[in-house]
Amino acid sequence: MGRESSITRIVGPENYAKLQQFKCLIVGAGGIGSELLKDCILMGFGEIHIVDLDTIDLSNLNRQFLFRQKDIKQPKSTTAVKAVQHFSNSKLVPYQGNVMDTNQFPLHWFDQFDIFLNGLDNLAARRYVNKISQFLKKPLIESGTSGFDGYIQPILPGNTECFDCTKKETPKTFPVCTIRSTPSQPIHCIVWAKNFLFNQLFTSDQSSTTGDSDGNDWGTDDKEEIERIKQETNELHDLQQIVHHQDKVHITDILKKLFVKDIEKLLQLDNLWKSRAKPTPLTDDLIDSAKDGHDSTDLNAIWSLEEQISQFINVTEKLMDRIVEEDYNIEFDKDDQDTLVFVATAANIRSHIFGIPIKTVFDIKQIAGNIIPAIATTNAIVAGLSTLTALRLLNFLPYAKTNSGLDVNMAFTARASNLSKDRYLSNPKLAPPNCNCAVCAKVARGVVKITEKGLEKLTLSQLIDLLKKKYNYPSETSLIDTSDQRLLVDFDFEDLLDRTLSQAKLHDGSVILFSDEEGDESEMYRKPLEIYLDVVEESAINSEIELPALEIPLFTPPKQEEEDEGKETSTEESPEKEEDKNGIVILDEDEGKDEKDGTTTKRPRSPDQTENDSKRAKTSKNHNDENGVIELD
Amino acid sequence: MEPSQATAERLTRDEIDLYDRQIRLWGMAAQARMRSAKVLLIGLGSLGTEICKNVVLCGLGHLTILDDTVVQEEDLGSQFFIGSEDVGSLKLESAKARIQDLNPRVHLSFDTQSIESKDADFYKGFDLVIGTELNTSQMVKLNELTRKYNIPIYLAGSNGLFAYIFVDLIQFDAEDEKLKGSQPTEKGQISTNTEVTEVKTRTDEDDDKKVFEVINTRHHYKSFQQMIKTASLEGRLNRRQIKRLSSAVPLTLALLRAEHEIGQLNFLTLKEKAVETCRQLGVPETVLNDTYVEQFTKQEGVQFAPVSAIVGGAIAQDVINILGKRQPPLSNFIVFDGITLDMPIFEF
Repeated sequence: MGRESSITRIVGPENYAKLQQFKCLIVGAGGIGSELLKDCILMGFGEIHIVDLDTIDLSNLNRQFLFRQKDIKQPKSTTAVKAVQHFSNSKLVPYQGNVMDTNQFPLHWFDQFDIFLNGLDNLAARRYVNKISQFLKKPLIESGTSGFDGYIQPILPGNTECFDCTKKETPKTFPVCTIRSTPSQPIHCIVWAKNFLFNQLFTSDQSSTTGDSDGNDWGTDDKEEIERIKQETNELHDLQQIVHHQDKVHITDILKKLFVKDIEKLLQLDNLWKSRAKPTPLTDDLIDSAKDGHDSTDLNAIWSLEEQISQFINVTEKLMDRIVEEDYNIEFDKDDQDTLVFVATAANIRSHIFGIPIKTVFDIKQIAGNIIPAIATTNAIVAGLSTLTALRLLNFLPYAKTNSGLDVNMAFTARASNLSKDRYLSNPKLAPPNCNCAVCAKVARGVVKITEKGLEKLTLSQLIDLLKKKYNYPSETSLIDTSDQRLLVDFDFEDLLDRTLSQAKLHDGSVILFSDEEGDESEMYRKPLEIYLDVVEESAINSEIELPALEIPLFTPPKQEEEDEGKETSTEESPEKEEDKNGIVILDEDEGKDEKDGTTTKRPRSPDQTENDSKRAKTSKNHNDENGVIELD
Repeated sequence: MEPSQATAERLTRDEIDLYDRQIRLWGMAAQARMRSAKVLLIGLGSLGTEICKNVVLCGLGHLTILDDTVVQEEDLGSQFFIGSEDVGSLKLESAKARIQDLNPRVHLSFDTQSIESKDADFYKGFDLVIGTELNTSQMVKLNELTRKYNIPIYLAGSNGLFAYIFVDLIQFDAEDEKLKGSQPTEKGQISTNTEVTEVKTRTDEDDDKKVFEVINTRHHYKSFQQMIKTASLEGRLNRRQIKRLSSAVPLTLALLRAEHEIGQLNFLTLKEKAVETCRQLGVPETVLNDTYVEQFTKQEGVQFAPVSAIVGGAIAQDVINILGKRQPPLSNFIVFDGITLDMPIFEF
């Protein structure tokens, strides 16, 4: 009996022959990806491609079983493929790269695969692959783990829920005043130390933090407090000078400013302390006496206040030495111990002042570095479920025919996640697409093939005419570049109409949204059409551009009021939503104009608010105070 | 995080860095306890391979693998410590360098003798035994020995898309934490084999609104033989649960109860056994789906990589939990249905 004897007894010889012709794409060669690769090889997939951007790190080795100590710093994808050679009978193709890079991975590259298996660790890439699967109408198995918890979600475009049909958790953000004036948990002090203090002292780009505009949500209306915060920010520039001039004698001045004077000023704002415990500032004497104190080196022990102060001074000296060599810019990195100890000691001293528990450096590393625990077993279970389900989605199980995606089960680790005592896994059947989903239900999707020449020649107005004619859109429409939510054309913005697509900065991989802005007599609108521009060789199509055959349905848009009640399931917090029950605020970004391009950035009525919001969240980490929100990335 | 001082042997800085992502989950103390544990794994088939990979990666102290088989061509379709050049060689000889390479810190022993050649004394020194892909009489005998020396045991096997886990920890005390709900947990028997012995509360150090219940439970286990003889669901399932019960449950038990060689049973004889098993379980014969009977006939004893990954992952996780004394252990019979991904846990 050959190596195929097990699998043929399960799928039958015909299906096994088909499987050997199948190509699958594994996105990610980390914890889940390593396991997926092994399972796909053993199951007998003919060809397996695997993509990963990352290189191997020591902390991967507890679960990413294809990597060894000697592989540290090597690319994950190529190392993984080398490590499986002795048991592989499949054709394997590794790529080191970002799956979202349209130059390396254009749409037609994705089109060669029969199924996509995700082993990703971030929302942006998950959303991206989900969208690709929707554009190409190819099955995707999405999965993820966090500690003991894991899940898989098979996605059959048009048939089952897509990744974005359900709301996803957004990164945690905090109002400015909680971080700057009234911390009550260790995480508030860690965010202060990392995102505010560390950046102010050691990172070169400070411009954003000075422009505290009045349009911000501060989490408070107290003018006095806002003034204090702004003044404090300005005063920190003096401290940065101490750092830049390597003025080591005056490190204690930094401590005295942060932990004595600033706290004393805070105490003068009586309003803040009516319903809160008052902070207790350090004293100059304490700081002076602790400075030559004994250092603890055990990163897993709780250090005394004196040890924190003494370590703060030591590590600041080290960072002062480094900052000149490193071009006046040091970025926080959880694996850079100097930056970690600086943040940990500063956070702990602040915690002490506010009566908040002190943490070990080990624990602070997890919070500041946003480390998610990860273990071999959960990854193995999730990857096993994912590959097993691939067989069902591809209809390879002769005793369990899949007539619709709705016959297939998703799965999550119910017992490990304390959701059930009598089931190890929960296995709900897949749901149909959520009719409010901005990604799979509210828009129609199509791939427009265009040549390089077409991009150079065709104007936006010509493109719009082609689209109107082909899909019966009315005369008033709009066009948006969804990658940056840039308005290209609408009824009162026609400046770009005569520009060619390439002049309008559209290129291979651009995703544009074409919307009906008029409606017909009965208030029915054509569904918005999201178009992927796939640049192809001239020989691939008959003319310069080829539009896909699509029926774009009509729909009645919901009344404005209903939308405002939050019925629209934007997959992230709607930016209009001022504050949720956790008191976490996400702010709207000011409308902005880019004069140079002559384009206007408008917050679109696009169904694709999700990408926009995550971008917004991303930019906010660089402009903490400007947006009034501090995010822990 | 538990204070590391609580353990006699402290972890080194290198170990903390290597095991960082799991220490953040189960703590230093549990990691140190795992390092001092001695485990016996019987059978390096597909399931054994998965279990081995998981426990070696996470830093178990000592692992002994017992397997006397020679690599067959068909093993290549479900196992990854061997390659085509190993066909015809002793499997452990072929696999051992690759296993050690996974984690040089783990003390490994390889034993190529048969399970039959092992006397009772062989088992004495182990903290835990895992038996994979054994037949019923081997499992009964092995379990008698582990009971004699009070050693916890996990037994597991697979039939193609379907698999089972049996757990006998004899008696096991566990501690678990959960967020306090509106209904406080009470002491006393909570299920067939489990009683709550103590309930304390703990307030979160960062957020005093978060209150946890610390629940101590005592788990009583049956031997493998007793379990297959007495397993019953009589009066424990409502109509909906019976309807949902996977055919894989009576079929798996039927194969374990039958005295037979693999491949001896045909559709009719297996179905007959499964009907008997339904009677013992106290569930109607209608739970038996003929396509499942057919699949079990065809797939009896077949090892399949993704199924092994799931079941091997579940066993390794539970082994890690009990060695590290985290979370209550599995109790005591689990069946996996690879079509629906259903994986119910039964206290038999």
